Amino acid sequence: MGLKLLTEVLSNVFKRASTIEYPKQPSLALKEHRGQQYADLSKCVGCSLCAVECPSNAITMASLPVKLKHNPRSIYPVIDYGKCIFCYRCVDVCPVKAYVITNYFEIASDRPGNSSELSLNTIPK
Amino acid sequence: MSLIEIPVGPQHPALHEPILLRVRADGERVVGIQVVTGYNHRGVEKLGERSTWSKDVFLYSRICGICNTVHAQTYTQGVEAIGGIEVPPRAQYLRTLVMELERIHSHILICAVMAEVVGFDSLFMLMMRDREPVMMLKELVTGNRVIADYYVLGGVRRDLDEVKKDKILKVLEGVEARVKYYKKIFMEDYTITKRLLGVGVIKPSEAVAYSLVGPTLRGSGVKSDVRADDPYAAYGEIPFNVVTYSDGDSLSRMLVRLDETLESIEMIRYIIKHLPEGPIAPKTPIRTLHEGEAFSRVEAPRGELIYHIVSKGGDKPYRVKVRTPSFNNIINGVIAYRDARIADVPVILTSFDPCISCTERILVIDERNGSTKVLSLKDLSRWGK
Amino acid sequence: MSKAVEFLRSLGLTCKEVKQARRYVFEVSPDKLRVVVTGLIKLNLNIYSSTISVVDYINEGVIEVNYCLWVIDEKLMIVLRVRVPRDSPKVPTIHDIIPGALNGELEAYDLFGVVFEGNDKLRRGFLVPLDIANQGVFPLRKDFKV
Repeated sequence: MGLKLLTEVLSNVFKRASTIEYPKQPSLALKEHRGQQYADLSKCVGCSLCAVECPSNAITMASLPVKLKHNPRSIYPVIDYGKCIFCYRCVDVCPVKAYVITNYFEIASDRPGNSSELSLNTIPK
Repeated sequence: MSLIEIPVGPQHPALHEPILLRVRADGERVVGIQVVTGYNHRGVEKLGERSTWSKDVFLYSRICGICNTVHAQTYTQGVEAIGGIEVPPRAQYLRTLVMELERIHSHILICAVMAEVVGFDSLFMLMMRDREPVMMLKELVTGNRVIADYYVLGGVRRDLDEVKKDKILKVLEGVEARVKYYKKIFMEDYTITKRLLGVGVIKPSEAVAYSLVGPTLRGSGVKSDVRADDPYAAYGEIPFNVVTYSDGDSLSRMLVRLDETLESIEMIRYIIKHLPEGPIAPKTPIRTLHEGEAFSRVEAPRGELIYHIVSKGGDKPYRVKVRTPSFNNIINGVIAYRDARIADVPVILTSFDPCISCTERILVIDERNGSTKVLSLKDLSRWGK
Repeated sequence: MSKAVEFLRSLGLTCKEVKQARRYVFEVSPDKLRVVVTGLIKLNLNIYSSTISVVDYINEGVIEVNYCLWVIDEKLMIVLRVRVPRDSPKVPTIHDIIPGALNGELEAYDLFGVVFEGNDKLRRGFLVPLDIANQGVFPLRKDFKV
């Protein structure tokens, strides 16, 4: 009766642990995972559709520090990662497919974080 | 004889969720029970009235973590019924696939929690380990382990390729063997049967009258499953058995879940083999609806989930009423505690598979003779009435 | 033809058209509700109360209470629709006929202020935090501002 599980438990003693030591060993997310996303400003046209469609109102449109030819209104989306629910609605609705998607999930931080720095790095030189 | 009141909860009554059971006991015997929730009212229904049809898909799927795709399914299928939107067959099959994956991991979870509640921690650990591959499959198909966000109005968001199909079949093979093994343990193991057999018996007539749903109802021998009775998504085309056990005790409710897990694995195999070709979502997004209403029902892992959606035209819903299965099972399930022993209370609660985030909040009193006085005094102090 | 639907038709109730299959919506006046529900239960069918859904039509001054009953044996849903004035929404209770309707009645009372006459278990503060409930407002009504 109970012995059946006992053999299972004993055999597990000699196996490798099925958990990992997380901060030391990286925890692997699949490449399909919906992780951190940000706008690629070499493509973004500043249409604001993502800001309108965001279910959690995490996206605000900020003004661009430089003039870009394809962005007539000179605005770009900034995602507040504290509010973002990572549903990728913005990625789906973007008419020019400007969003860069990653499977990076370790965004938790004690400071408020947003996507402006990541996006501004993509401005074509 | 004086009665003793013992609070079970609201911190960790059986699951890590806020619910309080006020147990009135005469010695070891339970004579009355009061379910107090209301620790976590979020007003999701009101919030949904202010958002648009397409954004609400994401809102309603966040009512519950474990059963998020069924919430999205109920909402989208209701909206699609109002708008007369045709969903492509491939999308219907993919929705069914994700819902069944969810049912598998949800059922394995509650069986594991049950093992923990009866003090069988090694079984809990093993079951949680073997649940992990299913979560990985969900991430593979939808993009997240828990909150799938797989739905859009009229279809789904990601397609399934051959590599993923093979991966699913391979993983499920391992899961099936493990679930069969656990079913055997639940049926034969001394610790489990001693704690579950004959505990919290609900008669079939009571189960119907008290409006219990899902595995709780089927565990009492009533054959009622929304998937079979009121087919939605692709369930009309997929063969499966409705599992019932007639004893009505906690063990039958758990065995219904374990058997359903095996059924779900078979269904997923069928879906992958017969997945139709075609588009997965409509080309133009749906933004506005005309007037209408829909009563949308889905079999969630915990039972019948029903939405009543009212549209007055435009881009916002007028009213979305959500009734989750746990709302019936926890509140009306107080009949099952009759004459139980104190140690059985968490077991019975767990056998309902309670999902507190679904229930949100409510308080109910089961009247018992001899305990009325205790009750009204408590009411006076608590509610200031 | 289903026994339950036939019975409701024999009471002179008209069935409202719904797009979905297996859904039958009947309009019932509040004073006849208990007769209808008792009759349904006496048909010896397995019927459970699925939910009680309340809709606030503020422009018409009407609160609509939908009793959703699922008939297990006949695989159909019967919706009994009761429309009551918004300023004094009162319907008779059915929780003594169908015990499973209790949670729906408690919820409808706390969120919409629909009074189920004869149900002595109704009280404010089940779902709504007490500080809001004590103001005498009902959060899911349309005139409640968040």
